[in-house]
Amino acid sequence: MHITVLAKVVPDYEVPTADFELTDGRAHSRYTRMIGLYDENAIETGVQLKEAYGATLTIISYGKTQDVTVLRKAIAMGGDALHLVLGDADDPFVIAANLKMAIEQLGNVDLVLAGQQSADMDRGVVHSILAGMLDYPFLPQISTIKSEDGRWMVAQAHENGIRRLEFSGKGVLSITSSPKNVPRIPAVRSILAAKKKPVEKIDGIPGTPMPVAELSVEIPKMESVCEFLPLDDMAQTCKILLSKLREERYL
Amino acid sequence: MRIPYWNISYGILIDTVALVAVIVFVFGLHGHWKRIRLGKVRIRSANVDHPGKIGPVFVYSLLKNGILGAKLYKKIFTGIAHGFLFWGMLVLALGTSLVVLNLLFGLPVFEGIFNRWFMSFFLDLAGLLALFGLLFFLVRRWFPPERLITPRERTGFGVQIGLLAAVIVTGFLVEAIRIASTGPDPFSFVGNFMAGWLPADALSVHRIFWWSHGLLCMAFIAYIPYSPMMHMVLVPTNTALADPRPGSKMGVIDFSSFDNDDDEEGAAEEMPTLGCSSLADFTRKRLLDFAACLWCGRCHEVCPAAITKKPLSPKGVMVTLAERLAAGEVEDATLIDDITEDAIFACTTCTACLEACPACINQPKTILKFRQNLVMEQSRIPELMAKAINSLEQRAHPFFGTGSGPKDWCKDLEVPLFATGETEYLLWIGCSVTYEERAQKIARAMVRILESAGVSYGILEESRCTGDPAKQMGNEFMFTELAQTNIDEFNELGVKKIITLCPHCYNSFDRHYPLLGGNYEVIPHSVFINRLISNDKLVLKNSLERICYHDPCYLGRRNLFFDEPREVIRKVGQLVEMPRSGAESFCCGGGGGNYWAEEVGDRINQVRSKEALDTGADRIATACPFCLLMLTDGAKKFTEEQKTFDIAELVAERLT
Repeated sequence: MHITVLAKVVPDYEVPTADFELTDGRAHSRYTRMIGLYDENAIETGVQLKEAYGATLTIISYGKTQDVTVLRKAIAMGGDALHLVLGDADDPFVIAANLKMAIEQLGNVDLVLAGQQSADMDRGVVHSILAGMLDYPFLPQISTIKSEDGRWMVAQAHENGIRRLEFSGKGVLSITSSPKNVPRIPAVRSILAAKKKPVEKIDGIPGTPMPVAELSVEIPKMESVCEFLPLDDMAQTCKILLSKLREERYL
Repeated sequence: MRIPYWNISYGILIDTVALVAVIVFVFGLHGHWKRIRLGKVRIRSANVDHPGKIGPVFVYSLLKNGILGAKLYKKIFTGIAHGFLFWGMLVLALGTSLVVLNLLFGLPVFEGIFNRWFMSFFLDLAGLLALFGLLFFLVRRWFPPERLITPRERTGFGVQIGLLAAVIVTGFLVEAIRIASTGPDPFSFVGNFMAGWLPADALSVHRIFWWSHGLLCMAFIAYIPYSPMMHMVLVPTNTALADPRPGSKMGVIDFSSFDNDDDEEGAAEEMPTLGCSSLADFTRKRLLDFAACLWCGRCHEVCPAAITKKPLSPKGVMVTLAERLAAGEVEDATLIDDITEDAIFACTTCTACLEACPACINQPKTILKFRQNLVMEQSRIPELMAKAINSLEQRAHPFFGTGSGPKDWCKDLEVPLFATGETEYLLWIGCSVTYEERAQKIARAMVRILESAGVSYGILEESRCTGDPAKQMGNEFMFTELAQTNIDEFNELGVKKIITLCPHCYNSFDRHYPLLGGNYEVIPHSVFINRLISNDKLVLKNSLERICYHDPCYLGRRNLFFDEPREVIRKVGQLVEMPRSGAESFCCGGGGGNYWAEEVGDRINQVRSKEALDTGADRIATACPFCLLMLTDGAKKFTEEQKTFDIAELVAERLT
């Protein structure tokens, strides 16, 4: 069994709104770079599959050489190898084409996992485009994966419940966060060993960008509005809070 | 003049029995040593330079805690009873030794004033006091306090108490029969008194009592290593070897030797086990801790986790380890699971247990060693703590999900950056003050104070954590990485003096950074403020406001700054003390990484806040941002008013 996890290095996804600024339409370069939030859930899921079924786990990323330092965490968490496709394109089609090339070079990949969205612009489309290019089924928002009798049994997490699905053969799965895939803190000896693991660097391909032009990128200005909720009954207060958050589309 | 072995034939035979008793005693002692030496030496020990230290022995600690048993008197009745028993038996043992010296070398102990006052009066008094002590302990075993029986009571005291009581009573009977036969001896007041009550034919049983007394003594001595009375040997030894500096004294681990980029792949495998998962991973000193523990439960009684019904009992941990050690199960790696991960991470590292322990056992160090193993070897850590660690790794601070940016605390303020060769003090802001909105006011207040006093100070351009939360959560590796980054920057900037706003930062800079090559003069902000006031650099308006001071564990108990914050408070209001204060202060609940914990049981911060509010004080003061945050939150259960303030805030608002 060979599993690959797609991991992307992104700017700090927890920069407070008031402190966030753009340069050239992208997060300012001063922000710390790290593996995408959901990508870490995907890596954890991959490591758990590796431990459960003795799979080989390869981490694939598309980015720059300096991302290697950050990506080594994926190896420390349990990845067997790291393949970095060099490139700086922002177009989902180009990124997907490069990832497809890396996956095809590996040759025997059974399952492709990726975080449900990366943290830079949260578009969440690369893995579905990649699935289309590879001609694999694509299942989004997966929270758990099991292998039973050669078939994959997966759970798809929705806001209001869980949908269980099964399929066989290869597939691309986008992984959401769940209590079962909280990223582990790598053991120290794994961190030290990961520093010494060789990284396979692959020259990127130009690919064909989507025929879409980006006109502008804006970030909302932070506004502070304070509203006191009645606190006679805590359960009722929580319900009111939830409904207000939904109304305002924060949830 | 008294005659030794009066009315006894072949009395010298008792010395032969004594030889056998000593052999059995030494054999038992050797058994303890065999188990203790199964511990490994530590990875790197701190080079402790302490006054009165001779070789590995801390002489002052041995005398104070090992011989005088100073900590025992924190419970006054137990302390006095123990004093009666210990000093009573010691004097009796000395008297018996003098008798032997009289027999062997004719030492004139049974003559004149020495005989009257020491060999007669003092030995009788010693025996009587020892009996009182025994009676106290006997009654306490019948009606044990909660701390003795939680999680379970140590057995084996009954036999030794009985033996000792029998030794003393038979000794008095022998003396009484002798006095009844040879004439009154008013200085031997107990024997004299008992002689008056003896039947006329008591002399016929004198020999029986004499031999019984001797044989019971020998039985007691022989049985010591196989009973809890072994603490007579182990506790003084432990106190002699225990580093007397306050705090858990975790030291640091030098990872650089395992992290050489030039090495072949796999070189990291040479690294020894990090932390401890079995008894064999602990040092000999820790195994001595476990063997010396008497299960008295004083640690349990003061532990904030145990008091608030969390799964941790420091006594429970010690009991488990002591039982495994006694059974010789040193390689058993199920130890952590038996103690439970929940218990190990419930420790707030407040060191109240260590402070309370009469045997100077370092319970927090043992618990943190388990944590180190769970985190650094097994990747096991509670979810919220894992998020904090992850944030430390990614952002160099543990406050994941914070709504604050690194410069928010100094919005609208002109705060100078530290300039090499120009600035005297680095004002170290620290992570909690930077990223927690309530704590940001501490830094703003401190800036006002420093400006008002005309202090040459500056801050770093980038905000970073010292690494203390990682260390307390068991991730020594991350602590070392962060510390090294800070040390490199400090050294590059030429930092010599640091003012800290957080005692956790102070503790790291003062205790751990020097071991990694970072040597600075570090001053907690409360101490620095007190210094400014003493030097008339600040002029304050006093008030009649009643201010209750909460000692932060990392400032008070761990670093002994008790007076300076109180002196500051006296300058701005009227100091009020809580029932638990100073070295006996109760934790706020946020230490040991538990600021990032889903708390079970009662909430420690609410317990402490209530204790503070119950004093009737107008405000609660503290000198630690974590305590400020925890107590602010805890007090919300009881009042809607903002009652908790940092010492810097109180001073800043009273500047004239």
